Amino acid sequence: MPWCASALYTTGYKKAGQFYMIALHKEPKRGKAALREQRAAYLFLIPAFLGLSLITYLPLLAAFFISFTNLNTGHFVQGGTLPPVRFIGFHNYLDIFVNPSINFLNSIWVTVTYTLLAVVCSIIYSMIIALLLNRRIPGRGLLRAIYYIPYILPATAVMITWWFLLRYDGGVVNYLLTQLGLKKSYFLGKTSSVIPTLAMIAVWGCGNLIVIFLAGLQNVPRVYHEAAEIDGANAWQRLWNVTLPCMTPIIFFNLMMSVVANLQIIVPALAVTKGGPGNSTMFMTYLMYQTGFKGRELGKAGAIAFVFFIVAAIFAALLFSTSKSWIFSEGGDEKE
Amino acid sequence: MKRMTVQNSMNIHVRPRRSSFRSKKNRGRAADIIALIILILVAAVVMLPLWWMFRSSLMKSMEIFKWPPKFFPSDWLFSNYNIKKTTFDFWLYLKNTLTIVIPCVTFGTATALSCGYAFARLRFKGKKFLFSLCVGSMLMPTMVTLIPLYISWANMGLVDTFWPLTLPYLCGGGAFNIFLVRQFIQTIPRELDEAAYIDGAGYMRILTSIIIPSIRPAIIVVALLIFITTWNDLLQQTIYLSSRSKFTLSVGLTTFMGSFKNDYAGMFAATCLSFIPGVLVYLFGQRYFIEGIVMTGMKN
Repeated sequence: MPWCASALYTTGYKKAGQFYMIALHKEPKRGKAALREQRAAYLFLIPAFLGLSLITYLPLLAAFFISFTNLNTGHFVQGGTLPPVRFIGFHNYLDIFVNPSINFLNSIWVTVTYTLLAVVCSIIYSMIIALLLNRRIPGRGLLRAIYYIPYILPATAVMITWWFLLRYDGGVVNYLLTQLGLKKSYFLGKTSSVIPTLAMIAVWGCGNLIVIFLAGLQNVPRVYHEAAEIDGANAWQRLWNVTLPCMTPIIFFNLMMSVVANLQIIVPALAVTKGGPGNSTMFMTYLMYQTGFKGRELGKAGAIAFVFFIVAAIFAALLFSTSKSWIFSEGGDEKE
Repeated sequence: MKRMTVQNSMNIHVRPRRSSFRSKKNRGRAADIIALIILILVAAVVMLPLWWMFRSSLMKSMEIFKWPPKFFPSDWLFSNYNIKKTTFDFWLYLKNTLTIVIPCVTFGTATALSCGYAFARLRFKGKKFLFSLCVGSMLMPTMVTLIPLYISWANMGLVDTFWPLTLPYLCGGGAFNIFLVRQFIQTIPRELDEAAYIDGAGYMRILTSIIIPSIRPAIIVVALLIFITTWNDLLQQTIYLSSRSKFTLSVGLTTFMGSFKNDYAGMFAATCLSFIPGVLVYLFGQRYFIEGIVMTGMKN
């Protein structure tokens, strides 16, 4: 252990440290420098890990504990008449699944279908746009900005905009549909169409995926394309056999980020639909907000949050376990 | 002799290739034009909602819902942008939003920088473990931690202040940003900072005078990303801010939406106003943006 040696060395036991070092065939000076480097590294890490532990990992543990208690927002009000906080076992978990007024299974179903729809569509859309944008065309910078801008707009404002555009009477989208000879649609106003509509809005706002795909495309080694061209591969074949395999790690990354982001969807419900029509936009996050902050039952909301965590983990596990079979890695080029 | 035949056969093969290469180039140009047309058409669809908001914000409430709808307002009523302060106080909300966003962006970027630097360059025990902890939190939905966080802020009596929205970011660069900075630093030749080290520069000095100047695009990307996340964080803002004088733009808009009395034009004007700061910031950093993400490689 070189750090033992340097510890001995720096704490004054110079001789002992030196002997130790000789045994290790290392110079004491280097050990000291390494120690200094390590200390500097920890100092650099402190702020980020302070945040990480206080904001992510500790609360995660706390959420787990809260989900087994009958904690209520009322417990923070002085002189309340609520029963004291205590552990109630799996009662919260049982209740959210059994209680018809919570209708948790519907929430899971709605969230998962929305996520799948939004993720698949936005990955395909952003890949196509990125491929097109990657060509040598005039006005690329402007086009890129146009495709990216929806992503940076405040989500609330975006939802209000779409709500207005998608109105049944007088909405411009329906006007355009009738002009094209199609039927009008209720979009956000009907149970069957609200989830696909929200997924479409998510696709509209996925400029970040486009940018990451573009970055990936510019890193595909040119040599492969040239080699394929010399072998007589046409544009399609090059897309399928060179570009896409090289892009698989980035597709994976985007899939992951997009799943995590879309699972947590709440702004449409919070800003416009309020969970309706019916319960069709009662996303898990919105349900949690409703039970925890409107209904005041923090314990129950904690249980919902934890089930949500499990759903997210299942998604991640599925992605990771299948990733080996379809992610193309360049052999021998692996660092770390 | 042998050499001659080799050259000969090369020539025979090369000639027809060359002509086909030229036609391929033409075909490539045709494909470029098709790509451009598709991109412009889709871009028009992408921009339609924004244009629609803008045109509605300039119309009389009557004209907004006219059927068939008009694509351009008949008079450009910029007076719609004079929204009553009691319904939507743009400047106050903007000020509140900025009091949250500016410290978050500054300190968040600094944290991400120092942490990313340590992961990219320094050797220390437990590096792999800490790095996986860091990247693992990227997959952690923020939703889950919301309730415990709310409880602790409530215990500290800090609900309805800006602290719950800023403090976490002061020491939380965000895992994705740390990852981005690390990737970027790895593309810079190590010899540079080793030379500085030999010259007697400390790690802080290396970070500030060598690393930071050479990763400026990454810093801009990180700042922009933190800006977007804090700017858009409606949920946490709704939970923590309850008095009107503390509202941010997002919360203000949602309340306006929930309480307006047929003042459609005013609401659309408010919506348009809330678009502006984000777009401005993006246009300012756009030049570095793609470059920043491209340079990081995004490989590992």
